[in-house]
Amino acid sequence: MSIVWAKKGRTGKRLRGRTARIGSLPLTSMIDVVFLLLIYFLVTANFAQPERDLPSALQTDGEGARSSDLQPQIVEIRMLDGAPIFVLGDLAVRTGEDLRVILEQLPKEAGVAVRSVPDAPISAVAEAMQASFDAGFIKRSYVPRDEN
Amino acid sequence: MIGGSRTSRHMISVDLTSMIDVVFQLIIFFIFTSHFGELRRTEIDLPREKGGQQEVQQQPAMIIDIQRSGVFFVESRETSLAEIERLARNGLAISDSGGPKFDVLVRPDQHAAAMHLDRLLVRLSSLGVTSWKIGTVVPDGGGSQ
Repeated sequence: MSIVWAKKGRTGKRLRGRTARIGSLPLTSMIDVVFLLLIYFLVTANFAQPERDLPSALQTDGEGARSSDLQPQIVEIRMLDGAPIFVLGDLAVRTGEDLRVILEQLPKEAGVAVRSVPDAPISAVAEAMQASFDAGFIKRSYVPRDEN
Repeated sequence: MIGGSRTSRHMISVDLTSMIDVVFQLIIFFIFTSHFGELRRTEIDLPREKGGQQEVQQQPAMIIDIQRSGVFFVESRETSLAEIERLARNGLAISDSGGPKFDVLVRPDQHAAAMHLDRLLVRLSSLGVTSWKIGTVVPDGGGSQ
């Protein structure tokens, strides 16, 4: 496709050849729109914080040994002095980092199941799930408490 | 050569200015509308965790927000558990009939009590939902993976 851009020179004569074709490309609207796009991206750049997902399985009470004879590691979230603690057997720790250190030393084949008391904050649930993820557990489940 | 100059005159009159204007306006429109589609996620104080690995992320079939008070929101609208159950049942039916896998993303307020999460997940598991994801934000000052 050949588009010939033509323009009249200062003298009023029509310019010919390559000069006329290149020189008369109308860039005004292009610049307008490019600046609009620039402003748009500047304005929207910090609209929302980037989010991530923490995947896990959903397990119901009594189905712990469905896929394996091995019992999963059970992390229980409880509240002590208004703050959540993570209980794993006889051990109790306050932070997700400490929980991760303990979980890393345990066998991982059977997976880990997390459950929580009703009044614990969801951030503690996320912290426990993150600790089990970081410790290298592939099977991670959350066991919701059924109030009924 | 009068005929030849007439043809050139026709080509000269091709003006792309308005075309470029309209094309860019359309681009801006679609960028805006697609972005607002994502903004339908309500603003929630999510748990500060680095989350899972950033794999190829597919859009979850259902996004459920839990506010601190325990109120559930789906697509920025307050939604009851019964309504969520109905939506999930529809989603599972589509998934069973060969559609994409039905997965749920829960975006809870980090200070909300776990009982609200439990209420929701008990309902979902009773319908046959087996996997779910919890939405997090990367904490400030690190946590990159």
